[in-house]
Amino acid sequence: MSVSTSSEIATRAATSPFEFKSAANLLRIEREQSRTLGELLRDLHTCPDSSIFQHTFRTLQEHHFIKEGFSNDFAHWAYTEIGAVGLGERLISLDVREFTNIADLRARLEGIVSDFLAQNPRARDQEAVSPFYFCSADTVVVPTEIKAHNIQEFIEGLRAVSVHSIHYHFIEARLRRELETNDFSIWLKRDLGLPGVAARLNQIDIYTSTAEGVRRQILRTLEGPLN
Amino acid sequence: MEEPRSAVQSQKEGEGQRAESSTVANAVTDTTARPRERRAPRISDTPPPPAPPPLLQDYAPIIGKSQLDELYFLATAVRGKNVKMVNSTAVGGGVAEMLNRLVPLLDELEVHTRWEVITGGNDFFEVTKSFHNALHGAEYTLTQAAKDVFLQHNELNRQRMSFDEDVIVIHDPQPAGLIASKKDHAARWVWRCHIDLSNPNPDVWSFLKPFVEQYDATIFSSPSFARRLPVPQYLFYPCIDPLSEKNKELEQAYIQGVCDNFGIDCSRPVVTQISRFDRLKDPLGVVQAYKMAKRYVDFQLVLAGGGAADDPEGNAVLQEVNDVVGDDPDVIILNLPPWSALEINAIQRASTLVVQKSLREGFGLTVTEALWKGKPTIASAVGGIPTQIIDRLTGVLVHSVEGCAYQIRYLLTHPEFAQQLGRNGREHVKENFLMTTNVRRWLLLFRILLGAN
Repeated sequence: MSVSTSSEIATRAATSPFEFKSAANLLRIEREQSRTLGELLRDLHTCPDSSIFQHTFRTLQEHHFIKEGFSNDFAHWAYTEIGAVGLGERLISLDVREFTNIADLRARLEGIVSDFLAQNPRARDQEAVSPFYFCSADTVVVPTEIKAHNIQEFIEGLRAVSVHSIHYHFIEARLRRELETNDFSIWLKRDLGLPGVAARLNQIDIYTSTAEGVRRQILRTLEGPLN
Repeated sequence: MEEPRSAVQSQKEGEGQRAESSTVANAVTDTTARPRERRAPRISDTPPPPAPPPLLQDYAPIIGKSQLDELYFLATAVRGKNVKMVNSTAVGGGVAEMLNRLVPLLDELEVHTRWEVITGGNDFFEVTKSFHNALHGAEYTLTQAAKDVFLQHNELNRQRMSFDEDVIVIHDPQPAGLIASKKDHAARWVWRCHIDLSNPNPDVWSFLKPFVEQYDATIFSSPSFARRLPVPQYLFYPCIDPLSEKNKELEQAYIQGVCDNFGIDCSRPVVTQISRFDRLKDPLGVVQAYKMAKRYVDFQLVLAGGGAADDPEGNAVLQEVNDVVGDDPDVIILNLPPWSALEINAIQRASTLVVQKSLREGFGLTVTEALWKGKPTIASAVGGIPTQIIDRLTGVLVHSVEGCAYQIRYLLTHPEFAQQLGRNGREHVKENFLMTTNVRRWLLLFRILLGAN
C-alpha cells in the first residue's frame, strides 16, 4: 500500500475542478401564522417545504455569527415567545445535517411538537407573546470566479469565498444531493482521492461554531495532510 | 401641464427650509446646555453640504469582495432595465434617506433607476398624514371628503407621470392610487410599505386595500407589520448605510472632541439613548432606570435627540425630563438640530452601552445604528426591535424600567459578556440590515418580477 506524501497531495490534480458557488435569498412572508403550539403543529403540517427550509437551514446562515444557543427559528420561538423550555430544548438539539430531505425534517419537527403536547396538553392553547410568522425564500444560485484544480487552490478558494458560499456547499448541499455529506467532502473523496479528509470534514460541528469558525476548522482539516 | 418634481429638485427646496429653521434649533440647544457648570456646546447652526453618495466599491472593505461580486452577478440579469421609485417626499424621513443611497447604487449596477416625488397640496398631505397615523392604529373618522382629496391628488399625479419603466415601485400609502395606470402599461408594480400595518384603522385600510391588491408584489419591513393579501409579500428589513455620516467610522480625536464639547467624560462609563423627545421613546423611563442602576454602578447618562424645537409636545417632554433630572451632573441632555448625524455617531461610538427603551417603535433604526457600532444594546421588545435583538445573543431585551436598570448594572459589571453581545450585534447588522443587503434584495425582486431568474 502506497503512502501519500504531503508534497504529492499538494500537487495532486483533481479529476475535475471544484467550482465555488453561493446562494442569494429573498424572503417571502407566507400566510401561516401560529399563535399557539396547537397552531404551530397545524402549520408545520401545511406550510410549504420552503418554509421548513427557511426556518431551519436558512436561518443558520442568517445567524452564522452566533455560536451559542441558536439552532432554528422554531426552537427560538418556543423559548422566547411561549416559554416552553422543555420543547425549546428538544427543538434546539435538532441537527439539520441528519436530514437529506424536507419531508423527514418536517416529520421530525411535527413529532417533537406533537410529543410535547401529548405530555403537556394544557400548553396547546397557550397564547404566544408574539406569533410565529412563517416565511420562505426565493433562491438564486450565484456562481463565483473561483475554481480549484488541486487542494492548494481549494484552500485559497475557501479563504476567499463568502460565508454564504460555505453554507451553500457545506450545509445546504445535503438537501440538494440527498446525501449525508457535503459538496466539499464529495469532491475531496471523488476528485482528489482523499476519503479520510473528506470524512473528517463531515464531522465538523456547525452548531457550536460560527460560520467563520467552521471555515477555520475546514482549513485546519485540509492543511493537516499538507504539513 | 406641470412636470412631476424630481427628487433632487425637492431636496434643494428642503435644504433651504432646514437652513431657515436652524436658529430655532440652536436656541433650543442653548437652553438645554446643562448642568450649570457645563459650558454651552458648540453646534453648527446650519446643515453641512450633503456628502457625495458612495460608490459600490467603497463598500468592499466592509462586506468583502465576494459579497460585492454577488451584487454584480445578480445585476447582470436585469442590467439595462428601467425602474421608477415613487414616494411623497425628497427630504426628511427614512424613506427619502434610503432612496438617496439606493438609487445611485442601482444606477451604478446599470439598473436605470429614476426617483420621482408626487406633488400635492396641504389638503392632500393632511389627509395622508391622518391616514399614516390611522394605519398605525390611531382613532380616525374617514370621511368622503378625505377619500376624494386622496383620489383627486393621486389622479392628478397619475396624469402628470409616465409609467414606461419595467418596474414601478410605489413607497407607502400616499401614492398608492397610481396603480390605476397599471392597466395601460406593461410594467410590474410593487408596493413598498414602510409602516406597521399590524393594527390599522379598519376604515382606512378597507379604503386602501383594493389599491394594494392590484400590485404584483408588496414589501413589508417585518412579518408582523404585514396584512393578509392575495399578492406575494416580501420581507425587506429597513437598513442603514455604513458609509453615511451617522454610521461611518470616525477618528478617535473627533469622538473625543464631540464628547469634550458636550461635557461627556470618556474616562467613565457612558449609557446613551438616542431618540426624539417623545413620550413613546420613554425618556422619563430611561431616567428612572438610570437612578435605580446608579445606586450600584457609576456611569453617566446621555439622552440625545431632536424634535423639541418645532414640536410643542416634544418641548413639554424635554421640560419634564429636565425637571426629573434636576441638577444631576451625570445626566447630559442634548436637544440636537436635525443635521447632527456626525455628533450622534460620535456619541454612540463613545458610549459603553446604548439603551432604546421605547414604548412603541417602528423598526427602530437607532438600535441598528448602535448594533453596527458594536455597542452592547438594551432595548424594549417592541416593534421591529426583537428582529434585531435576539435576547442575550445580539443584545438584551427588556420589558420594564426595572429590567432596564438591572441590565444596565449587569452589562456594566460584565464587560466580556457585553462585548460579545456587541460583536454579535454588529455581525447581525452586517448580515441583514445594511444598505448593500438591501440592494441585493431589490436585485433579486427585479429578477423574479421580470422573469430573469
